[in-house]
Amino acid sequence: MRETPFWHNSKRSVANKTAGVSFKDTPFQELSEKLIYILLGSSLLLFILWPILLVLKESLHGNSGLSLGCYYQLFSQNRRLISDSFLLAVASSALSVTLGLVMALYLTYSHWKGKLFIYAVLLLSMISPPFIAALSYVMLFGRRGFITYKLLHLSINPYGWHGVLIMQVLGFASIAALLIMGVLSSRDQSLEQASMDLGATPLQTLLRVILPVAKPGIIVAFLLVFVQVLADFGTPIIIGGNFSVLASEAYLQVIGLYDLPKASAMSTLLLIPSLLMFLIYRRMMNRSHFSSPSVGSSSNELMRLSPFTNLFLGVLTLSFVGFELLKYLTIFWGAFARTWGVNFSFTLNHIVDTLGAGKMDSFWRSLEYSLIAAIICSFMGMLLSYYLERKKYWGHSFFDFVATLPFMIPGPFLGIAYLLAFHGPPIDMTGTALIVICNCMFRQIPVSTRAGAAVLTQISPDIELSAKDLGARDLRVFFDIILPQLKPAFLVSFINTFTATMTTVGAIIFLISPGSKLATVELFEFVKIGKIGEAAVFANLIILATLIINLMFSFIIMKRKLRNQYLGGEGVYVSGIARAN
Amino acid sequence: MYLELQELTKNYGELTAVDNLNLGIESGELVCIVGPSGSGKSTTLRMVGGFILPTMGQVYLENKDITRFPPHLRPTSTVFQNYALFPHLNVMENVIYGLKRRKIKDKEACRHGNEILETVGLQRYAGQSVLDLSGGEQQRVALARALVTNPKVLLLDEPLSNLDAKLRVRMRREIKDIQTNFNIATLYVTHDQEEALSIADRIVVMNHGKVEQIGRPAEVYHHPGTAFVADFVGRNNFLNLPDGRRISIRPENIRLSLDDGHITGRVMQKQFMGPYTTYFIECGQGIIQVDQFFDATIEIPLGSMVSLQWPQAAEINIGI
Repeated sequence: MRETPFWHNSKRSVANKTAGVSFKDTPFQELSEKLIYILLGSSLLLFILWPILLVLKESLHGNSGLSLGCYYQLFSQNRRLISDSFLLAVASSALSVTLGLVMALYLTYSHWKGKLFIYAVLLLSMISPPFIAALSYVMLFGRRGFITYKLLHLSINPYGWHGVLIMQVLGFASIAALLIMGVLSSRDQSLEQASMDLGATPLQTLLRVILPVAKPGIIVAFLLVFVQVLADFGTPIIIGGNFSVLASEAYLQVIGLYDLPKASAMSTLLLIPSLLMFLIYRRMMNRSHFSSPSVGSSSNELMRLSPFTNLFLGVLTLSFVGFELLKYLTIFWGAFARTWGVNFSFTLNHIVDTLGAGKMDSFWRSLEYSLIAAIICSFMGMLLSYYLERKKYWGHSFFDFVATLPFMIPGPFLGIAYLLAFHGPPIDMTGTALIVICNCMFRQIPVSTRAGAAVLTQISPDIELSAKDLGARDLRVFFDIILPQLKPAFLVSFINTFTATMTTVGAIIFLISPGSKLATVELFEFVKIGKIGEAAVFANLIILATLIINLMFSFIIMKRKLRNQYLGGEGVYVSGIARAN
Repeated sequence: MYLELQELTKNYGELTAVDNLNLGIESGELVCIVGPSGSGKSTTLRMVGGFILPTMGQVYLENKDITRFPPHLRPTSTVFQNYALFPHLNVMENVIYGLKRRKIKDKEACRHGNEILETVGLQRYAGQSVLDLSGGEQQRVALARALVTNPKVLLLDEPLSNLDAKLRVRMRREIKDIQTNFNIATLYVTHDQEEALSIADRIVVMNHGKVEQIGRPAEVYHHPGTAFVADFVGRNNFLNLPDGRRISIRPENIRLSLDDGHITGRVMQKQFMGPYTTYFIECGQGIIQVDQFFDATIEIPLGSMVSLQWPQAAEINIGI
């Protein structure tokens, strides 16, 4: 059967090649590998840790050296502002998580086929600029709102804390729903089967088994939403009226008064609860029981909730979906209405104006920055996850911490931080594209790194050992073996960074120069000065662009996932977490 | 000795995973390391492969100290328990990966790849994704990938544990075949003592990081050096005799009869095993297993009192 086995005649040639490998190669190889680690580490220190420390320092800025003056002033004069901020944040996040939970339960347990559509609406609201909800609110319920003024002939004042609360609840409910869905989808279905088998009704099972088991995930959703609500300054500025919160005040201190010490102190006050929440989040994640869904559970029949429960969940969910659709419809229509609130007749003027008068520059610039940030950030995230998750060189847990910091840092904080760090010697990047791109990139580094790490934990370390065993050196192992397998994580990271950069306004509003605006900033300013037509055109452009890119890449990921079944639900979960930032 | 492990020791803090292990392997020999989980057998294998650095001791290959060589420079090849195939590469790309790292041209690499795939009977799968292969086929790709670089030592880490029982027995034979043809020194780690007995030239029994016994399979089976080996390898009964000796005796060496014997007991259960029946007999010092080869004339009902007899030569003294 094997008369002339090849190992006899070819042994020499292969053996010679083996002998040709010199042992002197090793130290050099390790050096270049460590050099990359040092480069990655120092960029984390320079672009994340240093700017953050500068904000803390600035907030302690006094007339003569360090002082707690700013904080003293804050607590004595702005007590109302502080308590309002936290009350609003607690109320908004509690309500949006409740609504999110309702929708997540409905989407998990409903047998209705149309739930895919609901899911799509939730995803759509995730990739839209955050304050377009406020824009549509003004368009519908404002002083000249379509519903209040035109239809009901009312002239009520919609501005105030209640408007902010409603908009934040509706705005953050989708994130909460998707996060909780991610948790529920990885549940062990045999638990609910056991509960039903022991005589519990579906509702009892829901309340006594599913919710308690999902509790850590729900709390995590609350924490992530809380941090974002606290940092949201767009909604209060647009519809807060006289009501303001720390985030919006900090924004005004910088943009209007250029009082950096005070803005820094306010931002630091926002950072403290975020840090606390993050610590709790880490603890909860470690204790979470949603590690592995039981094998083969997908073939199981879905638990049927009672018609009443189903109706209750369904009505709430569909009302939300109705509102979301109304929002997009309003904004779409806004682009074609002559003068919103006065004359609703059809016109193409806004579109012609916007496309013509050089205003598109900011849109193309946004696209360009987003693509650059997404590519570099994803590549860096993959490398970083490999070093932190697998190589574990000296200081890896410290760098891991630094790389996670932007996750919990409110957007405006990081904007002010970059303002302090890179506007003047030793590094002056005032008004450059670089400062904006760096800011957007490093804000998303935690998500990219996490996406990479999530996939890495599913790749058996033996695969790396095997590559080494067969003669590959460390960097070679990364490029040959690790990077190709990280492709899904790379794509998730790419979509996330692209979408975040396309839709963010929080940090970059402090960094851009008037000559090189980005689309979201332009949109934000249109809304502020009441140019509703132009604002609507811009909002539509941004939504369309992010939607197209997201659809394209989701399609690629889906196709891959069908092939690589072993990646399972991880991708969805990762992107859920990713979106939460 | 071709491959020699000298005083190999691995500590993890307080824990000693491998304790002063000495082992020599001849060229072309297949040595099985067998032991329960946590006995240090995999750690030993990984120290030979270069994936774990020993705390103390040396690994010599052809009298050259390779203890601190990194894996990519070691002339050893490992087949991992989960095969560790690269999921993004197809069968052929997996197989020739090691050749390409040795800067061998694509064309030549593919020729070697084809030859080795033919050897393991997978030539027609060359262009397929490794994810589409069955467990046994993946196992063969892993074996081909390890062998194609012409390693001096082949390391197999529980290579059959992910396969079903029938396939395991078949792959056992195939591995032995290929190993004999390549005439390659092989270290084979398994927790399955039956697998070790059937495939190995010599067996190393490990427990708690220490070597309990090294010997040919028959030697280890018939003359276990310690109580642990007697218990771990094959099935065994432990008995205290009236003269104070403690012995072990294999189930197949005991005969049941209704006459007087060394020891009497009651039949508690019997299991039909095909060629023989195993009787479980309560005799005052635990349950004794006895294999009675099928004999149509003797049928012992449950509950009967029987006596146990065995030839003197079958007794193994295992101390007091």
